[in-house]
Parts: sequence; C-alpha cells; structure tokens
Amino acid sequence: MAGLATTFGSGAMTNSINEIENAQVMLVIGSNTSEAHPQVARRIFAAMDRGARLIVVDPRRTLMAKRADIHLALRPGTDIPLLNAMMRIILDDNLADDLFIEMRTENFYGLRDMLFRIDLDETARITGVELAGIRAAARLYGRAQKAVICYCLGITQHVCGTGNVQAIANLAMLTGNVEKEDTGVDPLRGQNNVQGACDMGALPNVFPSYQQVDIDDFREKFERAWHVPLPSQPGLTLMEMTHGGKDGPLKAMFIMGENPMLSDPVIARVRETLDNLEFLLVADIFLTETAARAHVVLPAASFAEKTGTFTNSERRVQMVRRVIPPLGQSRTDADIIMELSGRLGYAMDYESPAEIMEEIAMLAPIYGGMQHDRLENSWGLQWPCWDRSHPGTPFLHKYYFTRGKGRFVPAEYKPPDELPDDDYPFLLITGRIYHQYHTGTMTRRSAQLCREAGEALLQLHPEDGRRLGVRSGDLVRMRSRRGEVQVKAQLTDAVQAGEVYTTFHFSEMPINLLTSSARDHFSQCPEYKICAVHLAKV
Amino acid sequence: MKDKYILKKDHLLPLLRKLKKKHRLIAPLQNLHGDTLFTEIDQLDNVRLDLANQPQNSLKRFFFPQQEVLFTYRNPTSDSYRFETAAEERPPSLYFGVRPCDLSAVLYMDVVFSKNARDPHYLHRRQNTILVGLNCNAPFANCFCNATRNGPFIDFGFDLQLTDLGDRFLVEFDRSQGQEIIREWQQFFAAADETDVKAQYQAFLEARGRFSQQVHLDLAARRLADDQVPESVWQDLSMRCQDCGGCAYICPTCTCFTIRDRQTGDHEGERIRSWDACTFSGFTRMAGDHNPVDRQMRGIEKRFRHKLQFDMEKDNRPSCVGCGRCVNICFGGTDIVLFIKMTCGENP
Repeated sequence: MAGLATTFGSGAMTNSINEIENAQVMLVIGSNTSEAHPQVARRIFAAMDRGARLIVVDPRRTLMAKRADIHLALRPGTDIPLLNAMMRIILDDNLADDLFIEMRTENFYGLRDMLFRIDLDETARITGVELAGIRAAARLYGRAQKAVICYCLGITQHVCGTGNVQAIANLAMLTGNVEKEDTGVDPLRGQNNVQGACDMGALPNVFPSYQQVDIDDFREKFERAWHVPLPSQPGLTLMEMTHGGKDGPLKAMFIMGENPMLSDPVIARVRETLDNLEFLLVADIFLTETAARAHVVLPAASFAEKTGTFTNSERRVQMVRRVIPPLGQSRTDADIIMELSGRLGYAMDYESPAEIMEEIAMLAPIYGGMQHDRLENSWGLQWPCWDRSHPGTPFLHKYYFTRGKGRFVPAEYKPPDELPDDDYPFLLITGRIYHQYHTGTMTRRSAQLCREAGEALLQLHPEDGRRLGVRSGDLVRMRSRRGEVQVKAQLTDAVQAGEVYTTFHFSEMPINLLTSSARDHFSQCPEYKICAVHLAKV
Repeated sequence: MKDKYILKKDHLLPLLRKLKKKHRLIAPLQNLHGDTLFTEIDQLDNVRLDLANQPQNSLKRFFFPQQEVLFTYRNPTSDSYRFETAAEERPPSLYFGVRPCDLSAVLYMDVVFSKNARDPHYLHRRQNTILVGLNCNAPFANCFCNATRNGPFIDFGFDLQLTDLGDRFLVEFDRSQGQEIIREWQQFFAAADETDVKAQYQAFLEARGRFSQQVHLDLAARRLADDQVPESVWQDLSMRCQDCGGCAYICPTCTCFTIRDRQTGDHEGERIRSWDACTFSGFTRMAGDHNPVDRQMRGIEKRFRHKLQFDMEKDNRPSCVGCGRCVNICFGGTDIVLFIKMTCGENP
C-alpha cells in the first residue's frame, strides 16, 4: 500500500486479472502464484501459451519457478539490490523509456544517480544470483512492449517491504510499463475482500476511499454524514494493537473475522496483550484460537448467509447473496455492528445492505456509481467508478498517475532484521499452501482438504537433512530466539540449502511463535518471510 | 404412427400437474439469479421451467449425493457397537427434461452401482424413478455428445422421450412405466402422423450439424489404447490442473467416492460417504506419504484414461457423455476437450 501510494498514488492492482493473458513478459516476484492465486496463475499460463515469457524471482523452486523461462533464486530479502541491478542494466543497455519518463514521471535523476553508484558484481554477491541471469531478466523485461509485474507477500512481508514495492514501481516506470492495458504492476491480495476492507477505511489513517482523517475537508464530510465528531489523528496499526503487551495502549478490543493468535508474529506477545485487556469481544464463524480467549464471543454469519459485496484484487466490487438464513444464533457482521452501536447509544438503522451501499457510494468517491442495482446480474464494477453512468475502470493511471506524475522513489538495500548465525544457522521462510486458507478456521473443517494437506511440513534441503540426520517424515525441533515448535520434515530441493520453509495454517504447529516482530517502518507489516532458526532432530 | 404420440406444448403444464400428484417432480428450473438447475418442484405455478438452457447440474446428486450418511453407530459400552441405517422415505420420483447426455450418465451409473457389487444406497434412490427425456435440437456451446455417440438424440433408456417440434412434442416410450403414463393420461396424447415423424428426423439432422465443438474422440481413444499420447500432453495439462476437483464433481459419470467416520459424540458417530476425485493427491497417497502419482506430472492422467480407455476396454464405450460441463467449470483449462485435441495433435 505505502509503496505504491508514494510512487503511483494508488495502492492496488493497476491491471485487470484477465489482461495478464495478453502480456508479453511477466515478472512474478515474491508470489507463489499457482498455490496462492491459482486464478492469476491460470492467466499467466494462458499468456505463455500465446508465446509470453515468464521471469520468476523466488528463493524457492516453486511450480511457477519450474515453468519459468528465467528463475532467479535470490537470497531472501535481497529483492531491492536485484531490482536495482535490473534497472541499472536497463539503463546501460539503453532500454529505458525516455519519453514516458519525461512525460509521466518525476525524480528520475534521483533514481539514476543511485543506480549509477551500483556495483553489479557486488549485487551478484549479495543476492546469490549470477549476473548473467539478472542481465537476461533485465533485457527480457526491458525489451517487452507489454510487461506485467505480479508481486505478493514475498515482497511486502519484509522490513524493507515498502522499499521493495517502490523498487518494483521504479522498474515499471523506467520502462514505461504502466498506464496501459495489459501492462502494469499487480499486487495480488491475500484474501477475497482485503482490498474492500482497505477501500472502506479499515486502515489507521483514512476514511473510506482513502480520504485521510487528518485532512479537515474529508473529516468534516464524514462528520456531516454521521452527525458525530470524528478523530483527526490516525489510529493504531495492527501490530501496535496486538503487540502492546501488558502496558499496551488498549483496554478493550473488538476483533471480527481475524485470528491473531495464529496469524500474528510472536504469538506469545499477542497472548500477553489479549489476556491483559479489560474486555475482549470476538465475532467469528467458529471458535478460533483468538475467540477462545475472549470475554464474549458473538457467532457471526458466513458468506452464504449474508448479502453484500466483496472487492477483489483487481478492484472489482461484486455482490454476494444470501443463500440460507444465518444458522443458529449467528448474525451477519452488519447486524452485529448495528446492534452494538445501537446499544452504545448511536442508532444505525439501515434497512438493508443496499442502503449501506448507497451511503458508501455517496461518501466514497471511487465507489460513487456502485449501487446494488448496478452490481446485480453482472460480474461487478471496478473502481474508480465515479458516478452511475461510469463503466468502471479496468486499468489504472490512464493519461496520468493518480498522484499526478509517477514519482521515482529510489530504494536502497536494507538487510533483513535477523539473519542466520552460528546459534540459529537456518533461515526460515513462512508462507501458504493451496489446500488451506490462513489460520484454517474454515478449511481445517473440511475432511477432504485435510486429507490433501492436513499437517504442517517443514521443507528442508536434502543436504541439510543429511547433515542433521533427518529424513522425510522425521520430527524436527525448531526454535528461534522467541519460541520453539516441533514439525515434520519434508526433504526437497525446492528450497535452497540453509533455508527452510513452512506454513502458518496449523494451530498444532503455530509457526508464529518463532517469527520476528521486526517490521517495515512505513507499512508496519511484519517480516514473516525471514527469521533465523535452529533445527535438531527430535 | 405406432408408439409415437403428440403432446401439445400447451398441455405440458397440465400433464405435469397430473403427474405431480403421484410423483416427486424434478425438472430444470431457472432460479432468481438466472441459473438453471435440476430442482425438485414444490409448487408448479411459481416456478420457471427452463427447457432452453443446459441445467448446470446433472442428475448425479439425486441418486448419489455429494455427501451421505451410510450408517450411524453407538458404542455405549466399550465392548458393544450398535449400528443403524437411516432409510429415508422415497416417494416415486419423476425426472423431467433430462437431456440424452444426462440420461446416458444415469444408465452408466446404474452399471457402476449394480454390476459387480450392488450398492443399496444408490439403488434405493434409483428405484421407483421415471425418466422423461428431452432430445437436444440445439446443442450447447461446449457439447460434444455426437463424438461420445449418445446424442443429440437418444432412442433407448428413457421411460418417455420428448422431441421439440415447435408447438408440440413428439413423445416416445421405451419402458413400461412410460407406456403406463400414456395409457393413464391418454387425453393428453394424440397419435403422431407421418409429418410429425419426418419433422423429428429433420430436427435430428439439423441438430447434428449444430455442434460448435469438433473433437475426434475415437482417434484420441485409439491413441490412448496404443499408448501414443505424447508425454508432454500429460505434463502440460497436469501442471495447469488447479486441483479443485470441479471436473469430477460436476461430471455426471464420475462416481469415485471416499468414506470416513465422523464422531458425533462421546459414544457415537457416523460413517460418511462423499464424492472424491482422482485428480486429488490424497486419492492415491499411501502410508508414509508415498504417492505413485506425481501430481504435477501425471495428476490428470487417471481421469482421462478412465473415461476414454479403461471403460472403452470394459464396455466398448467411453464413460464421457459429452455434456461439456467440465469445459465450463475448469479453472485451469485442462478439460477433456483440450485433452482430446492435444492428443490428436491439434493446437488448442
């Protein structure tokens, strides 16, 4: 979010998903697309059928990497030097889009000066990738007429996450690969509606439609609509809320559909924080690890029991319709919020989700033309959609960037917070697998999905396995400076020697006991992707 | 003409109303969101019968539900078990508007669930059913039942079969239950004349020429039998398969299932049968995590071999009925039409 906001002015996929099919070159970086975004992977494969070339940057040899024309298996956390080196090569080879830079961007010289200071051999040493590979990737991307960059949490979940994104944006602007159809920068969202949550202001510093709370005009607009004074200071970030500890800033929390007791780093700290609250209220569809610690739990309704909209990665707002009435005593999220609000003395009596959407359309300009009647019986509309006659926006930044001119923000290498050392010699990467979804609240209740992938596995390179005397299926004790778990090993050369990989879906093996709370300064996103661990056979 | 009748379209609803008195009636209905699905009809007057679009579901789940409890058990003491099979009531059921592909699929399932071992759960649901078919005058976009040789018209296996002749249906019967309906409700049926039969034949000829999918299923089957499918075809398709199982779930002839026990209390539980798919890695994975099938390399092989080779060897016909539903549902583009085309050396 922060990375694209500072460079382009809008933190969302610039393309539509189906545009990827028409790209000539796709650069996939920090995304295990076929596992985490199969619908996007499908478009990438379709593009390859039409002759498109694929570059994958990933420390692991994923299925995407296996299919790639070029796979750069970099050391985790070295994306910035790698991307900067690509840009330097593009400059040296005269592949930069001078006209685009001139017309549509600013601060190019800031970037150029930084790039000219780069020593490419040094980059090869830092990233662990041969220069020839980086050069091939740079030339392939730089020469393409239509190139798409897809990135995901492998880019953002680092202490340098914002810098990573800025480097990606720089690369795209340097080559003029934005502002056009089939061409752009595509952050892939991790959940069906995380884009929608951000759009609606579930962020500390903005009202819906990214209208900053500290700008008077915006705040007054919402005060007029809601008839209450609103705070002019940004609120707390997730990590500030869940990692405050005993003397944290909060006395009470209301957590909806989130399970920080499994998904946040340094779970021990989360537990301490939650247990010291005067009041914890959790609404979820099942009794999660977090709900189990609450003073009051409200049963929430699932997607099949409510009507409303979800907003996906490509900014598409689509309707979801109630198929069955809420089961048992469960209520929809909107119902719960309205009832709570009413009892706390602020009446919210919306008669239907459609009425709420009407208010959204009035107050959130990018949703200006999105009322339920326009979303029904269609595949939805993509924001920005300013009014009822607007057809929606398949790709962003046509004619000009949202912030006016695209800004080159040079990003410099910032090493990961915690690298392996003698005491903790392995580097742990965490991620996701196809058959489980996040903390498994829903998927672990499906016997079929659990048959496919029912337990956490630690991917370990066969060489490391030999040295530790560990075979596939053996239990390994893994500890970091923060905690310890036991996990079953799976020997595979999909990971590089010295690196291990596992998932965070399984409560029996809460890997986030181990991960570090180091986080990006701007986005406050924790470095889930890198921490140092020690392994021993049980 | 002998044994061919005419039912006026105006009289269809009145006939269904009569039939509904004695039967549970299941027919393709369009729901509020525009989706056409085989649905049990509660009230004939408030529904939109849709005979123009292909129902998104087949009849599979009516006889072989996605998930069913085979029996429940209780063990109040540690050394005794009591088992109970819940037998649901099955009033006679009439399935109306069944296309030749779905009809063929039911006939195929009959074989699967009764040939070697009789499956009481399936047979219990299947008995006392009447199948009223509808020939396809206009095949849908992904249909290829001409290549699987069970459509667009069919002349056996139904109780009654209708052919749309514009303002009227030509009606034929193949089984005594169908004949019985014509006899009992003879006021609805008039004898067909030669023009009607000619019109039916003309409709058949025209329907055959309306397929937009052109696949050479026989050639693909021969290449499979001769082991001439290039290795790259298996790999290419397997790598794209997104492991969702949608093809098997939507397929009217995929009948693989898995069985598991679920505890419902301290001393009780139930045995559940649910649909399975051979494309899942858990389908073949063994103890110790050994898997004879490398999903990324050969994950979809079993599916196509079963439909186009093994069943061909056994029964001399494919167990794909050409309904095209898997083409529509596949996320990855690994559907059977693409497989046939690639196997025949055509570019997708």
